Amino acid sequence: MKRNPLILAIGILLILIVGLLLFVFQVRKSEVVVVTTFGKPTRDLSEPGPHLKWPWPIESVHRFDQRVQNFEDRLTEGLTQDSFNVLASVFVGWKITDPKAFFPKFAGTAEPIAEAEKVMDRMLSNAKSAVIGKHTLFEFLSPSTGENKFVDIEKEILTVMQSQVRANNYGLEVEFLGIKKLGLPQSVTTSVFERMQAERKRLANQSQYEGEAEAQTIRAEAERKAAVVLADAGARATEIRGKGEAEAAKFLSVFQQNPELANFIFRLSALEDSLKDRSTLIFDQHTPPFDLFSGVSTNLLKK
Amino acid sequence: MSEHDHPLESMPEPALGPERPFDTGSEALTEALRSSFWIVKIVMFLLLIVFLASGFFTVEPQEQAMIIRLGRPVGVGQKALLGPGLHWSFPYPIDEYVKVPISAIQRVSSSVGWYATTPEQELAGTEEASLPITYPLNPLQDGYVLTADRNIVHTRATLTYHISDPVTYVFNFVNASNTVQNTLDNALIYAASTFNVDDILTRDVAGFKEAVRKRVIEMVTQQNLGIEVEECLVQSRPPRQLRDPFDSVLKATLTRQKLLEDAHSYEAQVASRAGADARSAVNFAESDRSRLVNETKSQSERFNDLLPKFQLNPWLFAQQRLTETLGRVLTNAQDKIFLTEAAGGAGGTAGNQKELRVLLNREPPKQNREETKP
Repeated sequence: MKRNPLILAIGILLILIVGLLLFVFQVRKSEVVVVTTFGKPTRDLSEPGPHLKWPWPIESVHRFDQRVQNFEDRLTEGLTQDSFNVLASVFVGWKITDPKAFFPKFAGTAEPIAEAEKVMDRMLSNAKSAVIGKHTLFEFLSPSTGENKFVDIEKEILTVMQSQVRANNYGLEVEFLGIKKLGLPQSVTTSVFERMQAERKRLANQSQYEGEAEAQTIRAEAERKAAVVLADAGARATEIRGKGEAEAAKFLSVFQQNPELANFIFRLSALEDSLKDRSTLIFDQHTPPFDLFSGVSTNLLKK
Repeated sequence: MSEHDHPLESMPEPALGPERPFDTGSEALTEALRSSFWIVKIVMFLLLIVFLASGFFTVEPQEQAMIIRLGRPVGVGQKALLGPGLHWSFPYPIDEYVKVPISAIQRVSSSVGWYATTPEQELAGTEEASLPITYPLNPLQDGYVLTADRNIVHTRATLTYHISDPVTYVFNFVNASNTVQNTLDNALIYAASTFNVDDILTRDVAGFKEAVRKRVIEMVTQQNLGIEVEECLVQSRPPRQLRDPFDSVLKATLTRQKLLEDAHSYEAQVASRAGADARSAVNFAESDRSRLVNETKSQSERFNDLLPKFQLNPWLFAQQRLTETLGRVLTNAQDKIFLTEAAGGAGGTAGNQKELRVLLNREPPKQNREETKP
């Protein structure tokens, strides 16, 4: 029974497994590990994969999340260089970079990450108020083409934070930082509203006046242009008529042969034209041909 | 039953062993030991099966999974992701699997910049549409952004993105989607700080949106988040406290547009009327000209025709023309009234004097014609 190779294999396997469990540990990609020898940190490992160690109680393993932590601080008030109160809160991405340094400072607490963030919160409030005090409100808020220094301000806070973290050797690194919220104290918002209201009023009036003035200009210009067009046309019409009269005058020589006859013909045709339709004529007996009625107007009858 | 079968089949093997000459008592003991050994074997076999079977896991439709082998993620980039379905990995401690609650498209909304309201209130339309101007904004509850011209405006953004590098997204960040949200908030505040209130609300909405998007992309690239931004939607609104003033500006703008449109239509009308008038004036002149010329011409031709006849006997000619013309005129005339002078003047008595009354502007003419004709 003891020579059974299967049992032997199983036994060796079991011993191997126990040995592995005692002497080998894994480091996950998201972790860093601090190995302590009798409680004193001796090694740190961040390379993922299996690693060797002496079994407990000689060496023990402490794992930390080495991923980028996301931390948002409270909204705190700061005074700008030109004496405006602004409220700002920032978010930071930070991670444990030196677990050996991080371990003794924070590992004693129940939640080392939260503990580290508490420390950072304090540092952030200082860094924020220090940097805000160096800038005017205009540098926070103004068109990008102007003196907007929003990005520079963020960078300054980050630099202050990074240098403080390094100086204290916390074993962590602030990766990035950004302003998450920017506001004004509650009492200031109403005065901003009042200013905005006045501005809106001005804009509304301005828009209306400008519109009226612009419309007036357009109308006046249209009328001016129309007048020019009509005047041009009038001049042209006169010119055309003048030409017509000049052409007509060429025929004057014809009438010149007997002006009396010409005049007579003109009058006759004018008479005919003027009495063309719907006219009432009243005659007495002296008007030819009604003078025939009186019997005196013709020499033929007299004779 | 199967437990019972195995010992029976294996009986001959121990029978060949050296323990053959033992008595029945020790044989029974051996028998008992053997059967219990078999039970142990089976239990171990079952344990192995359970151990291997524990490597199966299912991935739900709205999630994906990654396998970590001895601490290292298996696969690179998108290949590391296991889609929904049944999967198998070596059991712990060799493999571990991490479930990632991600669908193809991620969506985050900004958490700053909008006043305190809930989606339910918004859907139901019960949120406060306007507030008195004296109502301040509490920076802890109400979100808002400050604009380049130091005004207050509400704005919110929704960002959709997909995870281009899941290994980075999961193993480099504790909570990457929170980081994306913070980045979006930051981009919103930054973009607002460079835009004037009117640009954000009306004049350059697209530009503002683009500024937010650009800043988000810039920052996630810098942070190496392993995501790719798809779309960024931005919605902005003036403070509820200033609803009416903002509306009045909008109205004034519309009024202005209306005024300008009216003016332009007037302009077009005046121009076309002037053009038409000008054309007709020129046309009139042209027709006057040709009429004058033609008339004069035809008169002169007629004169040339008549002159020889006139010269034969001027008096007779004149009389003939006059009478002829009068005849034509009288034929055309509607009403002809003949009065003898003797009736009034020659008689000399006032009692016999006749009075003639003519009704002018007779319309319609038909009635009057009947009255005057007899």
